Parts: sequence; structure tokens; C-alpha cells
Amino acid sequence: MTLVMVVDDDQDLAEMLGIVLTGAGIDVDLVSRGDEVLDVFRNNPPDLVLLDVMLPGLDGIEVCKLLRAESMVPIVMLSAKGDTHDVVRGLEAGADDYMVKPFRHPSELIARIRTRLRRTNTDISGLLTIADLVIDVVAHQVSRAGKQIALTRLEFDLLVALAREPGRVFSRDALLSEVWGYRHSTDTRLVNVHVQRLRAKVEHDPEHPEIVVTVRGVGYKAGGQ
Amino acid sequence: MRSDGAHRAHSLAIRVVLSTIFLSLVVVSITGSTLYSRLSTGIKQVNLDTAIIEARSTIFSAQYRLAIASGNPADSVRDIFSAVITSATTVGSNESGREVVILQVPGTAIGKSNYEISSNLVSNSSIPEYLRAKVRNSENLESSYVRIEYAGLNTVDGIAVGQRISIPNDGDYEMYVLFSLADQAATLALISNSLYLTGLALIILIGLIIWIVVRQVVKPVRDAVRISQQFTEGDFSQRMQVKSNDEIASLGNAFNAMAESLEKQIARLENLSRVQQRFVSDVSHELRTPLTTLRMASEVIHNARDGFDPVIARSSELLIGQIDRFERLLEDLLEISRFDAEVAVLEAVEFDICGSLERCIADLSLVAKETGIDINLNRPRDSVFINGDIRRVERVIRNLLSNAIDHAEGKPVEVRIMASADDVAIGVRDYGVGIEPRLLNRVFDRFWRADPSRARTRGGTGLGLSIALEDARLHNGELEAWGEPGKGAHFVLYLPRRAGDQLQSRLISLKG
Repeated sequence: MTLVMVVDDDQDLAEMLGIVLTGAGIDVDLVSRGDEVLDVFRNNPPDLVLLDVMLPGLDGIEVCKLLRAESMVPIVMLSAKGDTHDVVRGLEAGADDYMVKPFRHPSELIARIRTRLRRTNTDISGLLTIADLVIDVVAHQVSRAGKQIALTRLEFDLLVALAREPGRVFSRDALLSEVWGYRHSTDTRLVNVHVQRLRAKVEHDPEHPEIVVTVRGVGYKAGGQ
Repeated sequence: MRSDGAHRAHSLAIRVVLSTIFLSLVVVSITGSTLYSRLSTGIKQVNLDTAIIEARSTIFSAQYRLAIASGNPADSVRDIFSAVITSATTVGSNESGREVVILQVPGTAIGKSNYEISSNLVSNSSIPEYLRAKVRNSENLESSYVRIEYAGLNTVDGIAVGQRISIPNDGDYEMYVLFSLADQAATLALISNSLYLTGLALIILIGLIIWIVVRQVVKPVRDAVRISQQFTEGDFSQRMQVKSNDEIASLGNAFNAMAESLEKQIARLENLSRVQQRFVSDVSHELRTPLTTLRMASEVIHNARDGFDPVIARSSELLIGQIDRFERLLEDLLEISRFDAEVAVLEAVEFDICGSLERCIADLSLVAKETGIDINLNRPRDSVFINGDIRRVERVIRNLLSNAIDHAEGKPVEVRIMASADDVAIGVRDYGVGIEPRLLNRVFDRFWRADPSRARTRGGTGLGLSIALEDARLHNGELEAWGEPGKGAHFVLYLPRRAGDQLQSRLISLKG
């Protein structure tokens, strides 16, 4: 059974989230203080963390940084603030995705959680390559010249999505739906921030990317062809 | 503005200095010329008096010697004359230029001898005829200003003093003593030069003094101008310096008091508006968490509606609908509060605005179909890439479209897009109820309704067009409306192709 840790100081919302997630067949671990997250996380590691930004004890952004420092677990931030500044801060702290309260549809929350939990399709066995990177889809590993590069699951999914169809130019909307599971959204900030994070990890020179290449006015494609 | 004001203050000083210089020029020339004329008259009079006295003694001495020598041969007359001339012309220094001319009175010759003589080659024509006539007809000394002519050489101004003398047995002669006035001219030139120099120095001095005084008076005025300009630019921290206790100081004090009061008022208003904006933003944020819970709860209830009594099932639908509406209102309020607080940020990216337009039309086509409205798009074949905030641009388009659908009354809605190298324009035209032209400027007001009895069919928040206008202006674009009752309305969004550039043209005409 899948376990999701819900970190929110609003008891009613947390309980409601619990009801909705349990209804979708997901186990829920409720935490109400920021400074308790790490202990609970270590004792009972969840498959995903739903993390509110405003928390007593320790700020959600800080909690996110601490979690990211020791785990690649998918993190979805819950924010009452839709302002770019807060969203980008959350993403830069290591969150994979964020949802602004109130969610358009609770079913969308579930869909996003499922996308984040989904194992990358294993229908392609063997190895993918972009430029000098080797991606082992089954083993969930990326390496360059035999040296492993640590990526979060989301970054891995983003890279695989691009590598799987080397000639294709992906619009940001297409990436949002394939990698994040968004049905319709024009929030391209999410894509931009994660492409930058991915580039920082895999490119030789993130200022002149060769692996995730920008196609002006359209989106991104895999480089190295 | 600034250089202009400084220039005005500058020209005041110049004007005062110039008029002062002009006035003192007049005064100095009047006093100077009066002084000069009195001095020169005095000097000339002294010279004339001296000349007459000296001439009298010279002529008397000549007459005396002639009287003593009467009866002597002609040669002795000549000797006497040359002695007289020698003694007369060498009395002063050579430069004093004293000359003697002795002329025979015409028609009085007795003997054959002619004793006419002159010193230093002074020509006889130096003695004008009118003076000779006066001398001939008078027993006394006669004088006149003349030009002394040296034969074949230069001439010089002078005074001629003459008297009739008689040589016994040899008739009557006129004897003239001539005095050069070269010295007098030099003295007068010196005086006039000194007067000119003194006058010039005086005027320059007066000019400088006035300049300094005017600057002292004008400086506070200039300061006031500069500080007022800084006020205009929004800097309320500046104050005038008050050092003295005069009229200028009271100007400064009054100015500072005004500045103080203005600054306080503005700070108070700013604070009020900040508190209010902060409050709106906080309320909106605080409402979000309970709204999330509400929404999820209603969704859970709604999903289970199949087993409900029809009344409860319908109630759950209404609940969901109202929560949606509540949420839209909240979002719009939050957006408005961002605009009011001037914290709305433009996130510009490169995108195809034709694609956005088609996407928005597709989003709204379902609603349009429900009300039986066709949306016709007239677009160029190629993509039109612009640099702008795609979220805001699409929001404007959606707002215009849903506004048109709400008011189209079943008639088709025409959407046009035109692009030039610098600008794009999107026109949304409906042929429905229209708007009174006098109400056009109110359509962008918050919560304003053209006809309060008209229902909002799409549950709009009443903030859509206000937000659309703010979105357009954030791009440096414009959103304009035209309408006539019964003929429909036309909304046109004008955007520069690079967000923040100035609009160059209005590609779609608003009217009709």
C-alpha cells in the first residue's frame, strides 16, 4: 500500500485530505508541525510528502530542504500563496510539484500524486542515451562515463521523457502533462525551474546546455543528435 | 522642468544686473560729461587769460622799444622786432610753442620798407581775416582761437592775441602773439580718459555688487523651485535652509511647514492604503485553507450523490457551484489587491498569440455552444510570436470572450487578430445588447453592471474587465471599448510585441 505523509497545521484540512486520499486507496500519515517531519519521515519513510508552506515549528521551505538533503522522495508543496515568488522558492528548495490552495479539483490532487508515484514505464528495457549520458531506465540510474549522477525521481522522469523521443520538440504544456500529469495548465514556471535544476546536475556548462536544449518559442528537446 | 526653472531663476538675476548696469551707465555718463565740460571750460579760460596777459606784456615791450628807437634807420626796427620775437618765443620752453607774427596794416605804408615778420616760419595765413579786421579797428588787445600753420608743415590749435602797433615814420602794424594749445589738449585728453576709466570701473563694480545681492535673494527662490520639483518627483524629505530672520526666512519657514504637512498627509494615506491592501491580501489568503476543505468535502458529497434524495443531490450541486464562484471571486480579489499594491509581476515569455487565441476559443466553445453562439476567428495563416505574460494575455482574451458571449444574445461573435512588426491587436466584436456610449468608460469599473437587472449568465465575478485592463497596461498595452445599444460592442486589446515597449499603432479600429 502506498503511504503519503500529509504535513499541514490545519487539522480540518489535514483530516479532509486524509479522507480523500484514503478513499483513493492511499495510506496517510498526518503530521502537524514542521519540526516533527524529519523524525516521522525516518521512522516510517513514506512514498510521497504533501507539504504545506506555512507550518509551526519549522517553515515548509526549510523542511523541504532538509528532506531533499537526505532523500529523493517526491515532494508536493501545498501553498495558500499563488505568488510566483513563493512557488519558485518552494521548487528551488527541492519540491517536485506544488498545488495552490484551493485545489481546482481534489481529483486533480490525486492524479498528480499518482503521477509522482508512478514507476517509470518499464516497457523500454535497456539503455537510453542523450549525448554522453547513459540512462538505465529499469535500474533508475543515470551515469556519465561510468559515474552515477543522483537525480530526483521527477528529474529522472523529465530526462527519460526527452530521451525516449530524441527528435521530438516538447512544448512546456506537453511536458507538464507527460511528466507532471497536469491535464491542462499554462503554468510553465514549473517546467522552467526543473529544467534549470536538471541542467545544473547533468550539463557540463549549464549556461550552454547540450543535453536539454531550448527550442526558442516552443519548448525543449534532447540534445546530442 | 528642472533646467527650465533654473533658467527662469537665472534670468531674473541677469535682468536685474542688466538694468542696474544700464541705469548706472546713464548716471555715470551724465555726471562724467558735466564734469568734463566744466573742467575743460575752466582750463580754457585760464589759458586764455594767461595768453592775454603775456601777450599784453610782449606787445607793450615791443611798442616801448619801438618808441625809444624812433628816428633810427630802418635796420634798427628789424633788430627790435627780432629781439622782441626772440625774447617772446624763448620765454617758456620750446614746446610751449609761443610764436609772434607782425603784419603791416594794409594801406598804411609810409616808406618803402616792409617789416612784416614771423617766428619759426609761421605762415601769415594763421591769422584769420576777421581777427585782423578786429585788431585794425581797435585800440585794445583782441584775441581769437586759431589754427597755427607752419609753412609747409603741420598745424596746431592755438590762441592768437593781437594789437595794433605803430612804428614811427613807417606806418601801422599788427602784432600777434600766438600760443599753442597742444598742452591743453593733452590735459583734456588725460582728464577724459580718466573719466572714462573711472566710469567703467564704477559700472563693473556696481554690476558685481548687484549680482551678489541678487544671488543672495534669488538663491532661496531657486532652492524652493528645486525642492518643489523634488516634491513633484515624490521625494518629500527635502527642506529649505532657514538662516536669517527676514522675508526670505519666512518664505522658507512657510514652505517647510507646507512640506511637513504634505509629507505627513501622504504618509498617512500611504499607510492607510497599505494597511487596507495588506488586509485584503491576508483575508484572501486566510480564506483559502477553509475553502480547500470545503471544496474537498463538497466533492466527496457530490461523488456520492447517486444514493441521495433528489433534493439533497441538487443541493450538493448548488453547493459545488457556489464554492466555484466563491473561489473565482477570491482569486479575482487577490489579483486586484496585487495590482493595487503594485506587486503584480509580468512574467514575459515568447509565445504564439494565435495559438493562445485558439486555445481560449476552444476553452469557451462549450459555453458558447450551450447558448447557441458561433465564435468566428479571423487570423493570419502564420504564427504571431510575441513576448508577454502568457497567463495574463490568455486571461484577458478569456475575459473578453466570455463577456462577449454573455452579451451576444445568440448572435455570432467575431474575433480578429492583426499584427505588425511592433504591435498586435485583438478585437472581440459582438452584435448583442451593446452599451450606451456614455457608459463606456465605466465598463472597466470594478463590480459595475450595465444593467443591474441582467443576470450574470456565466457567474462572472464583475472584476474580469478591470483585471483585463490592468493586465493590458502591465504590458504597456491598452484595452479599449466601443458600443452602441442594439448594435453590440467591440473590445480591442492592443499589445506591443515586446512587453514594456511603447505601442506604435492601433492596428484595429475600435469603432464599428
